Amino acid sequence: MMDQHEDPKFEQWLKDAARTTYHAPRTPPREEMWARIEAARRDKHVIELRPWLRWAVAAAAVLVLGIGIGRWSRNAPGGSKTAAGTQVSNEIDSLANVAYQVAATQYLSRTEAFLTSFRADANRSANTARLARQARDLLTTTQLMLDSPAADNPRLRALLEDLELVLMQISLLNPVQDGHDRDLITQGMNQSNVLPKLRSAIPAGPVPVRTEGAL
Amino acid sequence: MDESQLIARVRAGDSAAERALYDAHVDRVYRLAFRLAGDDALAQDFTQETFIRAFDRLGSFRGDAAFSTWLHTITTTVVLNGLRKVKRFRQREADIDDAHEIGVVQRHAEPDLKARLKQAIDDLPEGYRTVFLMHDVEGYTHEEIGVALGVETGTSKAQLSRARAKLRVALADFAGEWVR
Repeated sequence: MMDQHEDPKFEQWLKDAARTTYHAPRTPPREEMWARIEAARRDKHVIELRPWLRWAVAAAAVLVLGIGIGRWSRNAPGGSKTAAGTQVSNEIDSLANVAYQVAATQYLSRTEAFLTSFRADANRSANTARLARQARDLLTTTQLMLDSPAADNPRLRALLEDLELVLMQISLLNPVQDGHDRDLITQGMNQSNVLPKLRSAIPAGPVPVRTEGAL
Repeated sequence: MDESQLIARVRAGDSAAERALYDAHVDRVYRLAFRLAGDDALAQDFTQETFIRAFDRLGSFRGDAAFSTWLHTITTTVVLNGLRKVKRFRQREADIDDAHEIGVVQRHAEPDLKARLKQAIDDLPEGYRTVFLMHDVEGYTHEEIGVALGVETGTSKAQLSRARAKLRVALADFAGEWVR
């Protein structure tokens, strides 16, 4: 028995109309996508965050204060240089590194969301002033990241430098005539594979939030 | 060479086999990504991410289901998570915009069928919309959809039925188009 909501004529009409008019795909750019996939896989593991690190996030956040105290006491005049002291300072450095990596992951996730949205909105009348303001905020963090131990990793440093350039360009967008500039920025992002590299730098899974602002 | 042999060669590190596997599936992955995202740049991003993940995780593919089913599970996960991320970002942007600007955007009139159909599909709840696009537009079976979305086949059928019912109400003004 036919369900009272079923209407074969409507269903067929709906299928035909949706197939031809709703987000009708163009031919996929196979070669371009393949080139980006290969590049992203080469650049994968820009930073390595092992699963246990996510569980260590809360502890790392709590210990940020301890790290500061540890560094202060290590550098204090008359500080002891015993073997036990050296071991403690190594552990403190290791925890600091965890905190930096977690903060780096949070920052990369925010930047990825921003740039994905920027590129998707390239043809829309998004608020240029707002985009520029957001880019400036991320740019400040990028520059802090470049000065942090997170940038000791050469691949991460290269990615941060690419991001710094893109964010700088967006932060300088002219609200009056920005269509051409946006196209150029988007082209530059595509050519340098910024988004695939950025995505491959972000570990899968939820972004930890407990250390927001650790940098 | 059949697909299981191709997959074995990819696992063994054969880059030509990787490319062959990509060529065999990229069109359908991209089509689904584009239908769901409605944007070429996003669809390309999601397609790339799907294949990167698939190649990285090929070791966990046991062959219980078809490779295409496994791949489309990754596709839907990547696309739906990606779209949620973009939506959250845009929502934050909208929240800090002034109320007047939002009001103007929301009051746009869409008189023609194509625009009304687009709006009606966009307005569907995420689950209904995904099932409708996969089944009615891209031709996936309820079994494939169930595996890809991690739901029962019956759930997929129920969501499709509700999606069609909602679309029928939303497009009631155009009833003359399908009753003639």
